[in-house]
Amino acid sequence: MIRRGKGVGCMWYPIGFTVAANPSAATVKVNEDGTATLLTGTVETGQGSLTVLAQIAAEELGVSTDDIHVVSADTDTTPMDTGAIASRTTYVTGNAIKLAAENAKKILFEVAAPLLDVQPNQLEAVDRKIQVQYFPQRCLPIADVALQAQFVMGRPPIGSASYNPPTVGMDPETGQGKPFSTYVYATQCAEVEVDDETGEVDVIYMSAAHDCGTAINPMLVEGQIEGGISMGIGFALQEEMLFDDKGRQLNPNLTNYIMPTSLDMPEIDVDIVENFDPTGPFGAKGVGEPTAVPTAAAICNAIFDAVGVRITSLPATAEKVLRAIKEKNNSEQKFIPAAE
Amino acid sequence: MTDIALIVNGENKTVSVPPETTLLKMLRENLNYTGSKLGCDVGDCGACTVLVDGLAVNACLILAAQAEGKEVLTIEGLSTLEKYHPIQKAFEDVAALQCGFCGPGMIMATKALIDQDQDLTKQEIKDALSGNLCRCTGYTKIIEGVVDAYQEITGKKIPATKPRVA
Repeated sequence: MIRRGKGVGCMWYPIGFTVAANPSAATVKVNEDGTATLLTGTVETGQGSLTVLAQIAAEELGVSTDDIHVVSADTDTTPMDTGAIASRTTYVTGNAIKLAAENAKKILFEVAAPLLDVQPNQLEAVDRKIQVQYFPQRCLPIADVALQAQFVMGRPPIGSASYNPPTVGMDPETGQGKPFSTYVYATQCAEVEVDDETGEVDVIYMSAAHDCGTAINPMLVEGQIEGGISMGIGFALQEEMLFDDKGRQLNPNLTNYIMPTSLDMPEIDVDIVENFDPTGPFGAKGVGEPTAVPTAAAICNAIFDAVGVRITSLPATAEKVLRAIKEKNNSEQKFIPAAE
Repeated sequence: MTDIALIVNGENKTVSVPPETTLLKMLRENLNYTGSKLGCDVGDCGACTVLVDGLAVNACLILAAQAEGKEVLTIEGLSTLEKYHPIQKAFEDVAALQCGFCGPGMIMATKALIDQDQDLTKQEIKDALSGNLCRCTGYTKIIEGVVDAYQEITGKKIPATKPRVA
């Protein structure tokens, strides 16, 4: 019989470790046509980080994301970055880029201020213009200001900055401290169907609510969460590296190391819970790894809800679930004494 | 060496390769169509999917000689310099690809599916793409992209699944 169950998994996840140096650096150069070049050491692995980083630079400079030319991950030319690891890119590299763009913008403001007869701190950069706050009609195109800065004032608008979440050493006596800069939180709910005659588990629905600070690019956040759920489902139900007693892997290819396909994916509802973090760039934290953390817990809780067995070693394969169901049934079998 | 004459992306080609060469190896190494990816080389991952006479095949599993006289379409044959193919456009619009390694295979499998010109359901799309593995996206946005492309190309609608949460 197919039995249905629902389960919940919750988690928190740290962003931006502070126990050791964790720096990122960036350079932003505003060109005389109003575009900008961003140099960053971080690596794009498909998660869309360069898009998000270009959005951060564009927002700070008041230009369009299309105006930002990103040069990344080249040790010959780009500044140092700790790496696309630990869900830190948006938070740490994003902060460095925001600071670098701020520095470039400061030069633009200092050049534009006398031209607009105001003080630099009365200016803002919006819609590819440097304009006087509250008086948007008093403005100059960023391209003109950049050109003026380079060829008349002799101050090319370039900003460089680095960001390192303040390193806090652990107390060697107690092991206490502040190991991370900020934290993200998430809850995922799973609905599963378990066949109690075969032990097969089918995830039919997942709902995921993730706090990631400000979602700078909600479509990419959704993509990260959906991808994390597929990895979580593989972790919960399918994926296992098997070794023989000599340490050789028994399932070294994708025929027998089973990972989720399109048929294993349930309907997914993604809920982005925005939560401004004052230490992140425009309030952003991160979303990468956390997405795969609560999935397996939610699925195992749903299995318990469906058939009343706790699976305590992953993956919860059909064999394991069926064995657990049989053990449970045997232990619940009432002993009926023979009639005397 | 075997001489093989075939049509790749609309162009006549003649290639001389050792007889054990797979179609994928010939496409990538002799003809320089590196869009089709070598993932597992044993037919598990689908990253090398190309169309041979309109059918989606794993190019790593057939010999180049088996494509003799046939029409092969790779990802390079879909778009022109000016214009994306509607499937590529739909994939881009919904951010269906992340690292993109599965992309050429996914898109070619999608093309084979849509070209059959049948009334599709979401389940049939999932079935058709189940031979193409993706580690990044969880397939959700890929399937969205296929639905969009199907609706754009055929003008037919795929009924949306009812939202669970109001």
